[in-house]
Amino acid sequence: MSTDEIVQRVSLIVGAGQVGAPTGRAADAVKILSKPGDAAELAEVVRACETDRIALAPLGAARTLSQIRSLPVALGVSLGRLARVVAYEPKDLTITVEAGLSVGELNRALAPARQRLPVDPCDPDATTVGALIAASHAGPLRLSEGTTRDLLIGIRYVGHQGHSVHGGGRVVKNVAGYDLMKVLGGSFGTLGIITEATFKVRPLPEQYAMTRLSFDRAEKLFAAARELHDSLPLAHLEGLSSAAAYACGSPARFLLVAGISGSSSEVASLRDATARAAPGAVFVERGDALHAYARLRDFDASAWALTAQIAVAPAQLSSILAATDAQYLAHMGCGVATLFLPEPPADGRITIDGWRQAARRAGGYLRILHAHRSFRGSVEFFDMPNDGALKLMRRLKAAFDPAGVFNPGCFVGGI
Amino acid sequence: MSHNAQATGLDPTLVAELAAIAGSDGIVSRSAELKVYECDGWTIEKCSPDLLVMPRTTEQVSAVLKALWRREVAFVPRGAGTGLSGGALPVNAPVMICTSKMNRILSIDLANRRVEVQSGVVNLHVTNAVKRDRFLYAPDPSSQQACTIGGNIAENSGGPHTLKYGVTTNHVLGVTLVLADGEIVELGGPAEERCGYDLLGAVVGAEGTAGIVTRAVLKIIREPEGHRTLLATFADVEAATHAVSAIMASGIVPSAIEMMDQLIIRAVEDAFHVGLPAEAGAVLIIELDGLVAGLDEHAARVTEIACHNGASGVRLARDETERAGLWKARKRAFGAVGRLAPNYATQDGVVPRTRLPDILRTIQVISRKYGLAIGNVFHAGDGNIHPIVLYDERKPEEVRKAIAAGREILIACVEMGGSLTGEHGIGVEKQGEMPLLFSPEDLIAMSELRHVFDPLERSNPNKVIPRPGSCVEVAAPHRQVPI
Ligand SMILES: Cc1cc2nc3c(=O)[nH]c(=O)nc-3n(C[C@H](O)[C@H](O)[C@H](O)COP(=O)(O)OP(=O)(O)OC[C@H]3O[C@@H](n4cnc5c(N)ncnc54)[C@H](O)[C@@H]3O)c2cc1C
Ligand SMILES: Cc1cc2nc3c(=O)[nH]c(=O)nc-3n(C[C@H](O)[C@H](O)[C@H](O)COP(=O)(O)OP(=O)(O)OC[C@H]3O[C@@H](n4cnc5c(N)ncnc54)[C@H](O)[C@@H]3O)c2cc1C
Repeated sequence: MSTDEIVQRVSLIVGAGQVGAPTGRAADAVKILSKPGDAAELAEVVRACETDRIALAPLGAARTLSQIRSLPVALGVSLGRLARVVAYEPKDLTITVEAGLSVGELNRALAPARQRLPVDPCDPDATTVGALIAASHAGPLRLSEGTTRDLLIGIRYVGHQGHSVHGGGRVVKNVAGYDLMKVLGGSFGTLGIITEATFKVRPLPEQYAMTRLSFDRAEKLFAAARELHDSLPLAHLEGLSSAAAYACGSPARFLLVAGISGSSSEVASLRDATARAAPGAVFVERGDALHAYARLRDFDASAWALTAQIAVAPAQLSSILAATDAQYLAHMGCGVATLFLPEPPADGRITIDGWRQAARRAGGYLRILHAHRSFRGSVEFFDMPNDGALKLMRRLKAAFDPAGVFNPGCFVGGI
Repeated sequence: MSHNAQATGLDPTLVAELAAIAGSDGIVSRSAELKVYECDGWTIEKCSPDLLVMPRTTEQVSAVLKALWRREVAFVPRGAGTGLSGGALPVNAPVMICTSKMNRILSIDLANRRVEVQSGVVNLHVTNAVKRDRFLYAPDPSSQQACTIGGNIAENSGGPHTLKYGVTTNHVLGVTLVLADGEIVELGGPAEERCGYDLLGAVVGAEGTAGIVTRAVLKIIREPEGHRTLLATFADVEAATHAVSAIMASGIVPSAIEMMDQLIIRAVEDAFHVGLPAEAGAVLIIELDGLVAGLDEHAARVTEIACHNGASGVRLARDETERAGLWKARKRAFGAVGRLAPNYATQDGVVPRTRLPDILRTIQVISRKYGLAIGNVFHAGDGNIHPIVLYDERKPEEVRKAIAAGREILIACVEMGGSLTGEHGIGVEKQGEMPLLFSPEDLIAMSELRHVFDPLERSNPNKVIPRPGSCVEVAAPHRQVPI
């Protein structure tokens, strides 16, 4: 089907004003962008795509897909018009929202009751709830609050044949049926289009403060990180090499940033304990701390020539960081780090293979977040699962997307 | 009707082959001994397996499943059999595979805060193994002295402290899964992120229908620096449930809020004499944990909120002995109820926390309507109720009423925006109720997910998802009394 034919076909469903040429990052990811007005229209779009074998990609801010794919997919689906808060009862500490809502908006809805969804994607106002779930994102607070997968308790998505399917519910504890939240979470839009989500939310801590420690040697950074992680319950704990530290506004060869939060007496006690455990710690408080935290959260992987996320058994992280030439921003204690190179490497493939092997040896894996255009086409963005798991993943894709229209070819092993 | 009609007379060569794999002490075939396995904690329905196999290793499990696969024989996994929804009932599954001999802790890695266990390891043994180093395994079902990690994974079990720390799925990082055809698959691993689809997340809570979990990598956490455990007394459950909502909305996250009503308080007090206020309409056990620095302040706030919501008194456990006493009372409440009636059925519904007063009122109405006493002891902070319906199995009419009352409570939970089960699973007990919560499209998607792991439904067949047409038979296999 030609682009014009697709536009015509989809216009009949969503209205002519809601189909058109994509702009910005989306232009790298899809040829046409459509904006269904509700789940029923979305279902019809999916059915039409299945009938005519039109590949379609759900989109948030399109930061990910524009990286992964060399050729744009035919039809992009934006959920920009599905962006309501569906239900929120502060005393239940749960919220149900449509998937097109931004994470920033979601948190603004929670703020009056002093609650929050403690996952923080970079640029929360650009990141949609659907993309957050599909990309299974987690920021620095994962150390204390867990990740999106821990907080998602209900989901609704449009799957094959345009069926609207739901799993989980609106209560914090629920084991009725299979866990569709986990299956759709981190599926990168390859199994269906998420339209609604319910999260457990958490109270906003009374106070937040940040501790910064500068070091001239990486080993000292790792030792201090270990000491703090072992002795204190921290909100987050990040290890930064020079380029990351600079990007986050504090020049240092190596920087350790620890977050402490809680009631005022808890923060005071943590402050004392931190000062004892890590002499030389500099404290940043109140508005300054929140501002500094936002810079850490918004650390932008796409500013660099090559950026990857590595996840390993936590205690193995420091030896990997010590052995690499890469710059990093590492979630110490979680075993998850962003590695990056400011300049394109001589051979991107060799660099990535090296990182990937190191990750595997430490029991983990590697995922590319951003690669310079010059070698983007030649690298695998996702690490390969083992054969047994991959076989099950292929079966899952075939069962949930028999027509092969949801984001084809962009996930592990070419799924 | 026997549910294992297809298996009557399991092929003797198969039995011999399985004995060769698991060893002669790894197999039970005498019907008198098999009787022990005819039900789990859900005692209303019973049926015995034709054969029990107790392998010791992943490789043995794989070999056993390969042998069964070749002969097209279905099986049911079993841990400790403490399940309360009949998940380990061998419906249309002649062979039961029990993990009781797979009870080794394989490694403890404190630096990474990981423990690797065989799936038959008892939940409490994980914490016991790391306690000296001041770590613990957070999910703590009330059955933790008996239930296994494999059973916990299958049911995605929770416990009192999941209010703050989450349920099993938040603490399992990897498993070895043996598929129904005997293939061994590794899912997840020591890292916190997954590679590709989160199949591990789907296996947790799959109630044994994805295959047999033989090994698990679990996260352990640091013991909190301190605790404050409070006992708040109320004139009635209504006031107590309002207090729960108020505490939850205050910004303080207790590690547990458990409620017991009058009937349970009396039963527990009669059995264990732990000093509960016997005249109270309801009590809340509220536990706070974390940094010592904040605890007294939080305890004072919670006390104030409880009193503001009608608590007639709030008592702070003065020392570890008193604290242990309160938890003993809570965790043994089910046992204490055993003294009140010949039989009881524990239900497991969930409502949004703010609807707790409504559901408890509804339970009272249902109790009166059927003329059956119903006690309540439950995870109030999560909105996860456990109405305990007392009955006498010698009176068929009472059994019928107990089942009907339980069903009515679940319907009310769903109508209030809740769920059919918060931690015990669907099993055979609640299959019939699944359509209350899920549309045909939802159930089809779930079936498709199940078939990714087990396309022919050989692992724990006929569970979780109701089957059109055969629903009644599945929901009522060989009831011990005709209903
Ligand atoms: C530069 C960069 C830096 C990143 N840094 C990190 C990091 O530090 N840690 C980390 O964990 N992740 C990271 N990521 C991944 C990140 O989680 C996502 O990019 C982000 O959360 C989603 O943003 P987006 O709106 O641009 O998503 P998009 O790119 O629009 O979408 C992300 C994926 O989700 C799918 N999707 C979007 N909406 C839906 C929906 N409604 N239903 C189903 N599928 C949908 C898309 O098809 C795509 O596969 C990074 C990505 C990039 C590109
Ligand atoms: C007094 C009492 C209190 C309880 N309190 C709680 C509570 O607070 N929270 C809670 O969540 N539950 C509670 N339960 C329910 C029960 O203890 C849990 O569901 C527990 O996880 C079951 O574990 P088990 O080893 O006994 O499993 P079983 O009962 O043997 O099996 C349960 C299910 O798991 C499957 N299974 C078992 N092992 C495996 C394996 N290795 N691989 C795949 N599938 C497997 C079985 O097929 C079955 O479907 C309680 C039960 C009792 C009797």
